[in-house]
Amino acid sequence: MTDVLETKRSKKLAKGPFGSVGHALNELDDRLGTAKVGRTFLDKIFPDHWSFMLGEIALYSFVILLVTGIFLALYYIPSTAIVTYKGEYLPLYGQKVTEAFASTVDLSFAVRGGLLMRQMHHWACDIFVGAIVVHMARVFFTGAFRKPRELNWTIGTTLLTLAIVNGFLGYSLPDDLVSGTGIRIAYSIILSIPVVGSYIGFWVFGGNFPGTMVIPRFFVLHEFIVPLLILGLVGAHLALLVRQKHTQFPGPGKTEENVVGTPMFPVFMAKTTGFLLLVAGVTALLGAFAQINPIWQFGQYHAANISYAVQPDWYMGFLDGALRIWPSWTFHSFGHTIAFNILIPSVILPGIVFGIAYAWPAVERKLTGDNAIHHLLDRPSDRAVRTSLGVTLLAYLMMLFIASSTDVIANFFHVSLDAVLWAMRILVVLVPLIAYPMTYKICKEMQNFKGAGKRKTTNVVSRTTEGEYVSAASPRYVDDIPAHLAPIPVPTYIEEVQAPANDADGNGTRVVDR
Amino acid sequence: MIPTLLKRSVLLSILGVVSAGPLVLFAQSADAVKQPYQTERANSGTPNSDVVKKDANGVVTSYGNSSIMYNAPSPSLINLGRALYMQNCASCHGNEANGVPEGGSSGAYPALVGLGPATINFWISSGRMPAANPRQVQAMRQKPRLSDAQSVAIAAWVNSLAPSYPYIPTPNLATANVSNGAALFALNCAACHTIEGIGDALASNTYAPSLHNIPAYQVVEAIRIGPGNMPRFTGNLSDAQVNDITKFVTTYISHPQNPGGLGLGGLGPVAEGFVGLALGVGVLAIFGFWVGEREE
Repeated sequence: MTDVLETKRSKKLAKGPFGSVGHALNELDDRLGTAKVGRTFLDKIFPDHWSFMLGEIALYSFVILLVTGIFLALYYIPSTAIVTYKGEYLPLYGQKVTEAFASTVDLSFAVRGGLLMRQMHHWACDIFVGAIVVHMARVFFTGAFRKPRELNWTIGTTLLTLAIVNGFLGYSLPDDLVSGTGIRIAYSIILSIPVVGSYIGFWVFGGNFPGTMVIPRFFVLHEFIVPLLILGLVGAHLALLVRQKHTQFPGPGKTEENVVGTPMFPVFMAKTTGFLLLVAGVTALLGAFAQINPIWQFGQYHAANISYAVQPDWYMGFLDGALRIWPSWTFHSFGHTIAFNILIPSVILPGIVFGIAYAWPAVERKLTGDNAIHHLLDRPSDRAVRTSLGVTLLAYLMMLFIASSTDVIANFFHVSLDAVLWAMRILVVLVPLIAYPMTYKICKEMQNFKGAGKRKTTNVVSRTTEGEYVSAASPRYVDDIPAHLAPIPVPTYIEEVQAPANDADGNGTRVVDR
Repeated sequence: MIPTLLKRSVLLSILGVVSAGPLVLFAQSADAVKQPYQTERANSGTPNSDVVKKDANGVVTSYGNSSIMYNAPSPSLINLGRALYMQNCASCHGNEANGVPEGGSSGAYPALVGLGPATINFWISSGRMPAANPRQVQAMRQKPRLSDAQSVAIAAWVNSLAPSYPYIPTPNLATANVSNGAALFALNCAACHTIEGIGDALASNTYAPSLHNIPAYQVVEAIRIGPGNMPRFTGNLSDAQVNDITKFVTTYISHPQNPGGLGLGGLGPVAEGFVGLALGVGVLAIFGFWVGEREE
């Protein structure tokens, strides 16, 4: 027993290569079998392309939204009870305001770091929705939504809808002049729905606008229900991504059957953690140096007050733009009014746009008759019709988005507001119509362009002794030669015993290995 | 033939009834009793104030209260004012300051007699008059061509033709309540000038101008006389309230408090969306391009 000397070193060696951490993990593995799952997860292969990072921007800005949102929830009071403002901002001092507004101003001015948190929350929201849209465009144009990933496309579209809805709800919570105008517009949009509109409006607002119920209700939705839905769907989105494995661009050594990329640990994990910090850093810089939504300048919302030049946050811009430029068509008869000027641009139009988004994978399967499973992505120019249709829809939404700032454009360029309005009415039809053939033509040109999308090598021009100049392409970059793409076996370190699927006695009882 | 005629006459009579409806309504509204806040242009700002000073001839020289004093331009400036008027204004508004009626080849120009010294002073001292382009729909604020003293002199001469109100105001900002002013601004002014006072485009080539860096007396003048498309606020805002608004406009509107960083021009979500997409998503996409792989 004593032929082994008990030294500090031998004790340490006896614990194994990872010391007490390894020991703890072993204990965990003995009980839960985490080693196998962990090894599979850490060896997960992620194809690498810069455009695959766009979705991660959305994921990490959502993390920032959760963290800053929890901070804000500690100080915000979701109440429309009237109080007298006695805070730091002089032009509001002594005014009768709601507790929601007062607490938001107070958390901006009287809470240490509160304004930074509020601004980071708002910027992260703008970035969140923006990143979802850009990510969605990437998925659309590269055909990543095709079979077997239609379900994940549907989840993603739902996430975009929920993100926009929650953005609007959160924007409304401070109960300031600008957000109150937004709630007023939302109420009118609900009222414009024929027959049931007024009932739905009263149901949502707990009575007529503005009432006292809307702020507490929006708080519960914004704070609890919608984030929970988003969180669950994000989990499902990522689980499906892991289950179905990531798509990859075609390239040397990449086929429909394999996944070429870097393992989760250590390469991808290092990159993605660094990227989380980059997203957090950009959001913090914006929060610190760019002011967003200065509600103290807007003041409390009163139904009688209105400010000109009020726009919603950018992701609601297409709705606002459509409302602004739609002709004033209404129908009055038989004691009823149908406000087509609100119903069409703000209910039917977004319904159609999101309907197209939801239906697109099925529509494309139907149109192309392509029912095969795809793991390799398309180059957008190789799918000219799909790309052109996508650009057409984006151009249409972009024009509606620009139309939401008709007054700002007119004021900035000093042209008549009427001229801007009519210009937008024409452009919103014209630009998509021009966008389609232009994109189609560019796609066709790029299909014929040799080496498009490939990394360029330099031409080496040399002069011979006779004085002749010769130009020749330089060899490919060493990095680009796909020598390292030969598949290597991934070590598992875990002995796996093939479990026999036996059902010897035939009574339905099966014995499987643990 | 007869049924067609009948149809046509029936249609015509229906059309007549339909078109007569609005006319009847208009006719009724013409006789409507004037609301208390509607005042005649000629008597706007009539001295109904705490302090009224008169000269030896019984002409009111100044009126007002602890919030705003309205002073008549000095009669000694009348001759100077007449000369300046003939040089700078008479070519459009006429030698008698009674304007040019519509229908002339040179267009219509308003009569200035009876508008009150504040009106004359506002248009000249804000640089709108003499107009750079008389055919423009709305004269815009620019660097004044005449000095403050010269504009008061012209006001003195025009006022001497037919004495009228309001006089040129001097607000006493020390007594003003900026919080009241902010609330009144949100109720009365923000609908056109925006809540941040940066101004915006209204219909048909008209604009609500920016309120940044405007002298206090011009703010009071604008509220009391209602230049251009702007409504005149006379009966519904007391001098104390106008003084409060003026204090808010000359302090927090001119110099907004931006503790959150760059103010982004007070443009609200338009500028914020641009920054969020370009500097937020755009920069992060570039970082992603840096971190991620490119096509091989």
